[in-house]
Amino acid sequence: MVWDGSPWGVYAVWRRHATVYQKTWLVNCLLPVSEPIVYLVSFGYGLSPLIAGIEYHGQAVSYLQFIGPAMIGIALLFQSFFEGAYASFIRLHYQKTWHALLTAPLSFQDVFCGDWCWAATRGMVAGLITGLVTVISGAYSWQGLLGSLPFMVVGALLFGAMGLLTTGLAKTIDHVNVPIFMLLIPMFTICGTYFPRENLPGWLQKIAAVLPLSPLVDLLRWPLGWDPWWWVKVGILVVLMAGIAACAYRTIYRKLYNE
Amino acid sequence: MIFAALFCLLPAKVFYFRSGHQGLAGIPLCRRGCFLLEAVIQNHRISAKLEYGLGVAAEQGVELVGQDLHKSYGSREVVRGIDLTVKPGQVLGLLGPNGAGKSTTVGMLYGMVKPSHGRVTLGPYDVTRQGVQARRYMGVVTQDDNLDPDLDVTGNLVAFARYFGLVGTTARYRVAEVLEELELTRFAKHGVDELSGGTKRRLVLARALLNKPVVVFLDEPTTGLDPDVRQQFWRLVLGLRQRGCGVLLTTHYMDEAERLCDRLLLMQAGQVVDRGSPAELIERTVGREVLEVEGLDSRYVQDVAAAVGSWVRPFSSGFLLAIPDGDPEALISKVEHGRPTRVLHRKANLEDVFLHLTGSRLE
Repeated sequence: MVWDGSPWGVYAVWRRHATVYQKTWLVNCLLPVSEPIVYLVSFGYGLSPLIAGIEYHGQAVSYLQFIGPAMIGIALLFQSFFEGAYASFIRLHYQKTWHALLTAPLSFQDVFCGDWCWAATRGMVAGLITGLVTVISGAYSWQGLLGSLPFMVVGALLFGAMGLLTTGLAKTIDHVNVPIFMLLIPMFTICGTYFPRENLPGWLQKIAAVLPLSPLVDLLRWPLGWDPWWWVKVGILVVLMAGIAACAYRTIYRKLYNE
Repeated sequence: MIFAALFCLLPAKVFYFRSGHQGLAGIPLCRRGCFLLEAVIQNHRISAKLEYGLGVAAEQGVELVGQDLHKSYGSREVVRGIDLTVKPGQVLGLLGPNGAGKSTTVGMLYGMVKPSHGRVTLGPYDVTRQGVQARRYMGVVTQDDNLDPDLDVTGNLVAFARYFGLVGTTARYRVAEVLEELELTRFAKHGVDELSGGTKRRLVLARALLNKPVVVFLDEPTTGLDPDVRQQFWRLVLGLRQRGCGVLLTTHYMDEAERLCDRLLLMQAGQVVDRGSPAELIERTVGREVLEVEGLDSRYVQDVAAAVGSWVRPFSSGFLLAIPDGDPEALISKVEHGRPTRVLHRKANLEDVFLHLTGSRLE
């Protein structure tokens, strides 16, 4: 593969998406603000009295402290994936935005990377807003949020790539629902988000451990206890990100150029 | 990524002014309204290198050349051996029915479709391998209206200008220029969905002209438009030619091809069946005049055509005969002797040429 992309090309595509986002930023920010508030309030008032506490890496933590980082991971997952899947699919198939961009001095790599970076940016915006809500509510610390930024970036890029792979594989917009119901919904429930994975049966723990949200959520919980295998989890996320992005690139390229 | 996210949430617009000068439409010549990153990049004046493609083309006679272009999708060959040249100040037409391979050929010429075989060059650039660089000097009006529905008219053009490195004030000047040129200034703040079909087409053309291209591709630009809107669009195309732009036009409308094109390639089933100026093609292939005839037996018509050295083709619900230059009355009287229900004696056109060469009609 010959690389004929450029930083300006990627930026120009990213900036186009950012300009569109700015027009509806209030509506777009509503979900990442309201969702964690709803969960924190409902779980905080509803479940916390029923759960004495959770032991995490040998120390007792409150339930809100346990789910706070997971909510950041979930915001990254859904926003990045949905942007890469639904929005990119619509741009590719219905609006023909990709076709329009390729009449400009942009390469396919510019357009792909611009979409990918934008999907990750959407995830980061949602993750940061959710993080701010969890910090204000006391479920997460400022230092924890700042220290988690690199993990959030990798996670947002990974989930954005998953969304783009869905765009490349889906034949109709209804097919985009398939990975949501078969992968995202199970991920956001069993990957150690709302309860420790150790509570699951052994076979389900193994499945949950290989899903990408699990290492991300473990990494985001670093203020609650440092995982000695953190570097393995970062490696897993990076390898998955690169591999899925490469597959997404190939499938969308084939779809666009009929090759 | 944080930096980029902050651009989203906290636009740090750069405001600083040069003394005095007023730009187009009274916009002060200053670096207003661009993000910090763009102001830094604008200092390097990427845009300064891009703006004068047309001047370069006029001086150096830059041509778009396609050599022996082939395109196959699996075992299906959709374009077979096309050679063409688009010169500055000339309109080259690709005329053919739907499915002839016109849009695929155009796609290869601007680098969207990779040829299975052959080469495309624009000046020093090999479009197949240096498509990004070549497209700096191209403008493309695609068959689909792939405008951004989420942005207004100005937003669409400003976003597109950025792909050429035009940002901030430079972009806004150029956008204002192009809007004025194509009489779209009053639509500047309108959403794309509020525009009529003809206005959308003009907007797509405006987008294609932002970079002052050397060659403009118009892929069936007036399909689905009203006759008066088509005429307006034709005037714009003729204006491009007058400015020294090379234009490649694909169409299946023979009136459009006759009116606009200096030279034509007639295409069918991925191949060029003939080429030349519209007048040359008509004169050489069909002659100046033809006869449409209905209500006669096919054997009778063929005998009449053979007797005067003419040719005959099935046409609509009757036949089309070419009138020989030497003695048109001989043919007409023989035809009328057979008591046809309808006879129309008219000037030959490109549709007759196409019918004669391929046996089928354009539409």
